[in-house]
Amino acid sequence: MSALIEIENLSVTFRQRGREVRAVRDVSFSVAARESFGLVGESGSGKSTILRAICGMAPVSGGSIRIGGAPAATGRAFAARVQMVFQDPYSSLHPRRTVDATLAEPLAIHGRGDRDARVLAALGDVGLDASFRFRYPHQLSGGQRQRVAIARALMLEPEILLLDEPTSALDASVQAEALNLLSRLRVERGLTFLMVSHDLAVIDHMCDAVAVMRDGAVVERLDRATLADGGAQEPYTRQLLAASAYAAPV
Amino acid sequence: MSLLEVEDLRVTFDTEAGPVEAVRGVSFSLDRERLAIVGESGSGKTMTGRALLRLIRPPGRISARRIAFDGVDMMAASERQVRALRGRRIAMVMQDPKFSLNPVMRVGDQLTEGLRRRDRMGARSAREKAAAMLEAVQIREPDRVMHAYPHELSGGMGQRVMIAMMLIPGPDLLIADEPTSALDVTVQAEVLAILDNLVRERGMGLIFISHDLRLVSRFCDRVLVMYKGRVVEELAAGRLEDARHPYTRGLMACLPRIGGDRGPLPVLERDEAWAR
Ligand SMILES: Nc1ncnc2c1ncn2[C@@H]1O[C@H](COP(=O)(O)OP(=O)(O)OP(=O)(O)O)[C@@H](O)[C@H]1O
Ligand SMILES: Nc1ncnc2c1ncn2[C@@H]1O[C@H](COP(=O)(O)OP(=O)(O)OP(=O)(O)O)[C@@H](O)[C@H]1O
Ligand SMILES: [Mg+2]
Ligand SMILES: [Mg+2]
Repeated sequence: MSALIEIENLSVTFRQRGREVRAVRDVSFSVAARESFGLVGESGSGKSTILRAICGMAPVSGGSIRIGGAPAATGRAFAARVQMVFQDPYSSLHPRRTVDATLAEPLAIHGRGDRDARVLAALGDVGLDASFRFRYPHQLSGGQRQRVAIARALMLEPEILLLDEPTSALDASVQAEALNLLSRLRVERGLTFLMVSHDLAVIDHMCDAVAVMRDGAVVERLDRATLADGGAQEPYTRQLLAASAYAAPV
Repeated sequence: MSLLEVEDLRVTFDTEAGPVEAVRGVSFSLDRERLAIVGESGSGKTMTGRALLRLIRPPGRISARRIAFDGVDMMAASERQVRALRGRRIAMVMQDPKFSLNPVMRVGDQLTEGLRRRDRMGARSAREKAAAMLEAVQIREPDRVMHAYPHELSGGMGQRVMIAMMLIPGPDLLIADEPTSALDVTVQAEVLAILDNLVRERGMGLIFISHDLRLVSRFCDRVLVMYKGRVVEELAAGRLEDARHPYTRGLMACLPRIGGDRGPLPVLERDEAWAR
């Protein structure tokens, strides 16, 4: 069986004042159904751009993206299958929409019922009580906004979740709750994750394999065992690991 | 006299559902040192930082027995006096950098605006100074980034642009709200070294808001732990393992680690009594 997400020789090129910015260069990897795949790498190396390209939100200049064997498409059916949690929740949440409206919107578009119960359940899943339901984004803390973004992505019960630094705005206790929720849903609903994080411990906890990016390209691919055994070859990966080990629990 | 003295700071939001007390009686003082504020999501860290700059918008209200910055009574100061301090002597790196930058203005223009207007610097030298600061925060192509709009930056690049912008005027007090949360460890180390240097060499005071306990234990001098709007514990940064408060102690156990088993992570059993 072929993989659920197949990325082949993907390139993304932005144009900025007539100049080309080659954000992603010839990247290939695939993610099997129910697998959890991590992307790590330098700031600006193209991680978010890959996730956006999968959602049809980046100017692909070469290569292909296939979901379940078919070219990735946009539109309603795709949205129900693939959902993304964006890196900066402030700009992905509508400033004039309450949390309630944000969470209920996908339900309305896709004609799903049980609105109130689902909204409350989704809030509960991310550790927010009902008092947050009618707040606007500017009335939430950074981490609370991030949790609303996670809750929104889960509303349609998608098959694939693209997670861009989903817990980097969260403290350890709320992060643990969010990661536990994601892991549980992955098992219960058979979800597939493609996840970006700069925290290797989070990647190690959540992912079966990881690709390391630098300057738009994948420089190394590791499975979990190799990562844990310190089998990384690339100097950049080793540097990342060393810094993370230094940050081991006190 | 300390650089900053804060006594009984409170921030309250009047909402339809009643008042939300975001900060409930926070007191601390800061010298030319690195003070961390850590705490749960929603515990009031950002609102504490914003209140120090009197940047709480209605229906939010600030009250305090005393906020003194370098001898200036911030509660009594006029809006004009506060505006003169803001940005120049006290700067804040916002938690959502891309949202805080002006979306329709090129990065370079935003970085040089203050230098040109406030310091009456010429266009050329202002751009040179801005580009040098971008390089210092490890931006690889300063020239391209100067011409970019905020939405053309990656998350971590936006964060570093914001840091550069706040450092350009050389503030005496920097409040940095999760300044490195989007940075990988290698770039993070460089950015922290710059901040560290400013504290040591220039005697800048630094309030470093973060949820990353490992990071603050290495980087800061002292740590305030907030929970539901209050400071529940103050510790020397290197001695987090001596934390007494069950919230602080519980936090350490929640962290995943490389090579750990992948079972559910421990979570905190929060106790109503902690919030009292
Ligand atoms: N709309 C755009 N126009 C021009 N350049 C862009 C645009 N979006 C992204 N880029 C550039 O593409 C490169 C990759 O950005 P991307 O957001 O994918 O990085 P990232 O790996 O997610 O980094 P971070 O960890 O900092 O979030 C960067 O150099 C960025 O400036
Ligand atoms: N305009 C507002 N109206 C009502 N409540 C608000 C408003 N702004 C903030 N709050 C609440 O004040 C509390 C403190 O918010 P603050 O942003 O200081 O948290 P924080 O400690 O910075 O959290 P995080 O780590 O998630 O950023 C939160 O519970 C938040 O929901
Ligand atoms: Mg990114
Ligand atoms: Mg905050």
